[in-house]
Amino acid sequence: MAEVMHIFDRYCIHYFNCRDCPHGEQCSYPHKARHEVEQIQYLPGNEYFLGKPRINQRICRFFLRGNCIHQQNCHYRHEHINDLPNVLKGVDKSSNNRSPRGIINTNVPSTSQCENVTNKNSINNSLDLQNKEMLISHQEITPCQKEEHDNKPLTEEEGACASPPLTHISDSWVHAPEFVPKNIYRPKSYAEALSSEAIEEKNANKELCRYVNKDGICRNLTDCTYLHGEMCDMCERLILHPYDEEQRKRHRQECLKQHEKNMELSFAIARSKEKSCGVCFEVIMEKATGEQRFGILPNCNHCFCLSCIRKWRQARQFENKIIRACPECRVTSDFVCPSMYWVDTKEDKDKLIEDYKKALSRKDCKYFKKGQGKCPFGNKCFYLHAFPDGRKCDVGPPPRQRRPRNADADIDVLQVMLWDFLDERDFPWQSLAEDLEDLVSFFTDSEESDWSDYEILFD
Amino acid sequence: MANIAAQRIKREFKEVIKSEEVAKCAIKVELLNDSYTELKGEIAGPPDTPYEGGNFVLEIRVPETYPFNPPKVRFITKIWHPNISSVTGAICLDILKDQWAAAMTLRTVLLSLQALLSAAEPDDPQDAVVARQYKENLEMFKLTAKHWTNAYAGGPFVNTDCDEKIKRLIDMGIEEHQARVALSSYNWDLERATEQLFS
Repeated sequence: MAEVMHIFDRYCIHYFNCRDCPHGEQCSYPHKARHEVEQIQYLPGNEYFLGKPRINQRICRFFLRGNCIHQQNCHYRHEHINDLPNVLKGVDKSSNNRSPRGIINTNVPSTSQCENVTNKNSINNSLDLQNKEMLISHQEITPCQKEEHDNKPLTEEEGACASPPLTHISDSWVHAPEFVPKNIYRPKSYAEALSSEAIEEKNANKELCRYVNKDGICRNLTDCTYLHGEMCDMCERLILHPYDEEQRKRHRQECLKQHEKNMELSFAIARSKEKSCGVCFEVIMEKATGEQRFGILPNCNHCFCLSCIRKWRQARQFENKIIRACPECRVTSDFVCPSMYWVDTKEDKDKLIEDYKKALSRKDCKYFKKGQGKCPFGNKCFYLHAFPDGRKCDVGPPPRQRRPRNADADIDVLQVMLWDFLDERDFPWQSLAEDLEDLVSFFTDSEESDWSDYEILFD
Repeated sequence: MANIAAQRIKREFKEVIKSEEVAKCAIKVELLNDSYTELKGEIAGPPDTPYEGGNFVLEIRVPETYPFNPPKVRFITKIWHPNISSVTGAICLDILKDQWAAAMTLRTVLLSLQALLSAAEPDDPQDAVVARQYKENLEMFKLTAKHWTNAYAGGPFVNTDCDEKIKRLIDMGIEEHQARVALSSYNWDLERATEQLFS
């Protein structure tokens, strides 16, 4: 409902709601309580429209066809389109136009030139005031354009208006707005309207209005001195500079990139949608919020939810060899990579794991403690080992511990924890709050298959 | 019971019902209570084994920590097998112990047990007596296993010699199962079995 001024653009919101404004007398908005406001109209968009009792600025569609049953009491204007100042001739916004905030500065040269001065005088003052504040659809028709480019159905309608209303009702029902395709009203586009103007060159360097740039709404309305961009059909924002080709190109490329990203995302969702966890057998995307995360094993392609595969890898009653293995194929993986979506291909998976490691490598290792502690993983740790001044530190390979396993054999054991339990924290996609510090186990490269079942608890 | 265990058993239950093994009457699962903690399994004796034609009933108990821990399974039907206790029905199978994997299901467990029946592991025995017989006198083991299948699992193979020997021990006042165990343990040597029973 872009044409509707929001109530709180006119009145103090605090006073309106509870008759108490923290700014008191100094408030820059007029203080009016709800009941003081003369008329509140609820419009279809459920937005307030406030003001003196008056006629809506939209033209009654039924009047145009000559069959409005409300006559003088109609909330809409009973005026022919040619009698109105052009700013008022906003075409019905609920038409096929997909832009929710299609607004355009009415202060463009073509419009002002076409303004019919005599007609303007016929409009009363209060309306004139509203015109200034009004936002107009970019599908607006100006009288000049209209005369030149009138399409036939519209002419028919005008003809129908001229005929006596009563006789008209019976045979004109087929032309009711419900039946007539909306694009009948479709005028020339804004760009087309402007192209005939000679001031293009000058405008090429003009800046776009940053309000429209940001969220499609310019508060300054008719007085805005900046250019209001054209709608980009991809992002549906009024962001295309009408004259700056470079900017348009750049923006289109950005949009294309964004579009590709979105496509990728939708593909990811599509391929993740049906995937079920091999442990709990539930469809992962249908699990409770916060549980809908995949645990990707780097060395095999079996699908698990993050919580299940982590729980399995914490199952202390089994040997490490068993729990580090995929529950389905028993291929061992050294860590689990959390992911919002399932990855099918090797490239996607490699990228995911690389991103994951990269994300971890920016976080300070909580064992290294910026040089104060000692990380049991050594340089195999995924986390950042750096001193407070930012200097990185190579802590060397993880310390090895010699410990007799059998009477005749000494086995080197790498003193490493399972990454799985450490990367839980500090990640936007990970919400588990549990402290996993004591969940410590051993971890070796896949080649080193010797495992010991003793534990070390780090402090 | 933890929600995940019950949820999973429910899903698995459906899976087993639909599986082709059920269609071939090879495996079967029945619920014993509403909480999905106790189930009854049934497996058919695999063909070309002494257990062919028999139907073996299993007790399945699902722990709260399932599927992160294996279900506890034992044979209710008496069976003569090196890896299954002839007394308690306890099973020695790695996947039901330390080699369990969370992705395993009731169906895979039952199929594994069926595979165990066709491929015994006498070197990792549950029942030492049976395992010894299996290793020392395979023919005698097969005969005994067939007889047990006939006596307890409804197998078709009838050995009149065995039945007669058992009947003679029953006549001496020995309970049937006890007599069968004694005879089976002594390679159906009536004298030694009697000696053992009355010593």
